[in-house]
Amino acid sequence: MASFPRAADSADRIYFTLVALIGGALLIYFAAVPALGLNVAFHFYLMLWITMASAFNVASGFAGYMPFGYVAFYGVGAFTTAILVKKAAFPLLLALPLSGVAGLVLALLFAPTLRLSGIYFGIVSLALAGICRLAITNMPEEITGGSFGLQLGSRAQPLQSFYVMMAVMVLALATILWLSRSRLGKALRATRDDAEAADMMGVNVPVVRLYGWLISAFFPAICGGVEAWYTNVVDTETAFNTLITAKTVIYAVAGGMGTVSGPIVGAVAMVWLDELIWRQFPLLNLLILGVATVILVLFLPRGIVGTVLRRKPHWRRYVP
Amino acid sequence: MELLILNGLANGLIVGGIYALIGVSLTLLYGVLRVVNFAHGEFVIAGSFFAFVLFSTLKIPPLLAVPLAAVAFFAAGWLLYYVLIPRLAKSDDPELMSFLMFYGVSIAAAALMLLLFEADSRSIDFTFTPVSVQVGPIYISTARLVALAITIVISLALALFLFRTLPGKALRAAIMNREAIQIMGVDIVRLSAFAFALASSLAGVTGVLVALVFPAFNPFSGTEYTIIAFIVVVLGGLGNPVGALLGGVIFGLAEQMATVFLPQALAQIVGFVILVGTIFLRPSGLLGTRFRR
Repeated sequence: MASFPRAADSADRIYFTLVALIGGALLIYFAAVPALGLNVAFHFYLMLWITMASAFNVASGFAGYMPFGYVAFYGVGAFTTAILVKKAAFPLLLALPLSGVAGLVLALLFAPTLRLSGIYFGIVSLALAGICRLAITNMPEEITGGSFGLQLGSRAQPLQSFYVMMAVMVLALATILWLSRSRLGKALRATRDDAEAADMMGVNVPVVRLYGWLISAFFPAICGGVEAWYTNVVDTETAFNTLITAKTVIYAVAGGMGTVSGPIVGAVAMVWLDELIWRQFPLLNLLILGVATVILVLFLPRGIVGTVLRRKPHWRRYVP
Repeated sequence: MELLILNGLANGLIVGGIYALIGVSLTLLYGVLRVVNFAHGEFVIAGSFFAFVLFSTLKIPPLLAVPLAAVAFFAAGWLLYYVLIPRLAKSDDPELMSFLMFYGVSIAAAALMLLLFEADSRSIDFTFTPVSVQVGPIYISTARLVALAITIVISLALALFLFRTLPGKALRAAIMNREAIQIMGVDIVRLSAFAFALASSLAGVTGVLVALVFPAFNPFSGTEYTIIAFIVVVLGGLGNPVGALLGGVIFGLAEQMATVFLPQALAQIVGFVILVGTIFLRPSGLLGTRFRR
């Protein structure tokens, strides 16, 4: 790999040891979940949220965009899988990558919005997600199943979809780990901090932004597909639920955007917390989620990892 | 068909007036504080529930609920300002973080209303006599006409306040240049708290009108109104109160005419298309004067 020119450097050694340790621990833990008899559904969604939050981090933490309509990619991915499998008789494992492609196509369609910034981008993204939901709701019932949604029939294989979700998560984390060390990642960060200066240094700003955007759109689309397979049903109400964006954003912010580990830490902490709250007070779940977001923004705006790194700036070299 | 169009125009004006009020309060908030209130729709719906509770428990008619809502929401807004905003200013990017924070407020507010009032759609069982009035060739419900009158009164009062009184001028000055006004000796924290309270108060009053004009509301209707508010604010130009009034009326007309000419499903998309189109073609809004930060 070209991105290890200073492999002998001790900081890098610590960095990669940490990556290997954390990555290895995650892998072994998740792989062993079904064998250990742990709650498969809980861990399936934990991996889903880790993937979503990490991919969102590419757009927000690396590129500096806040796509508040992030759910659009997820929903379109879910429907692509469902339609391909149900109406065109595609095998599932072929439909999933095609969902990712659908996400990429959608991201290309939305690419003109990348010249907006700040809240304008956020608001437009929100509106585009609304358009996507309405467009799919209004498609002929033979294709999208109308308000009943699409049932995938007897294709549910919880264990198989669990491992597929795991593969998607590993792929996403590997991509983002690569990105954070690559030229592209550095160019993205430079563009986020000061687009004009980056342009001056020879960064092709629009292209770099587009690549970041595409990476960020690919994974939620696949997540949507895998979740559709896991739950066996897709409808516009759940596939385009704003709460999906909300959770993704909250988990990413909780961990700290701009680092690889941030969204993982955030997702693990918050999904676990969410599960605890949900078990104790099912009625208060939504209320506590909202209040938690407010408290997070007010008291921990840089997230868990971001706050630690601010206290100990020299750790930045070691923490992925 | 002519009747349908006339009906659409009348309803567009009435609904547009309400949209204008929702937009004005949001744009004031953004202009003065540079925060994006994603929970604005929930504030509005809270106003509707406020009127609902007053009417169903104390038999207070919606007309009397308007001033009560104004006072109650003003106080609540003042309080909320000091809880939420000062800490927010410490983050790296207050504008974007405010969007996120109010996202949380929006979820929490919707959940709270869900706990208090359950998910059923509610409406206020209050009727004016006569139920409807003939205006030219069409009939309009009295409730809608009353709402229109209140909207016009509030808009005029607001315009007078913003352009003729000292605090109003201070608000407009703060929208134009937050730094300069501090040099002129204005206490920006108190002014911001006032702007937040005023915007909340307007939102609450608008909520009462929403309960009068629209058939029903439920704890989750908030998001729809937030999106409408965004459309109106963007149409009028971010932070431009006069633009928001205009944008609201235009959007109301466009939406109501769309329901006349287009199938129901497509009519819903119109708002989103207007929003995206405006941002791309005319990002400074209809009036074309962008307040510089």
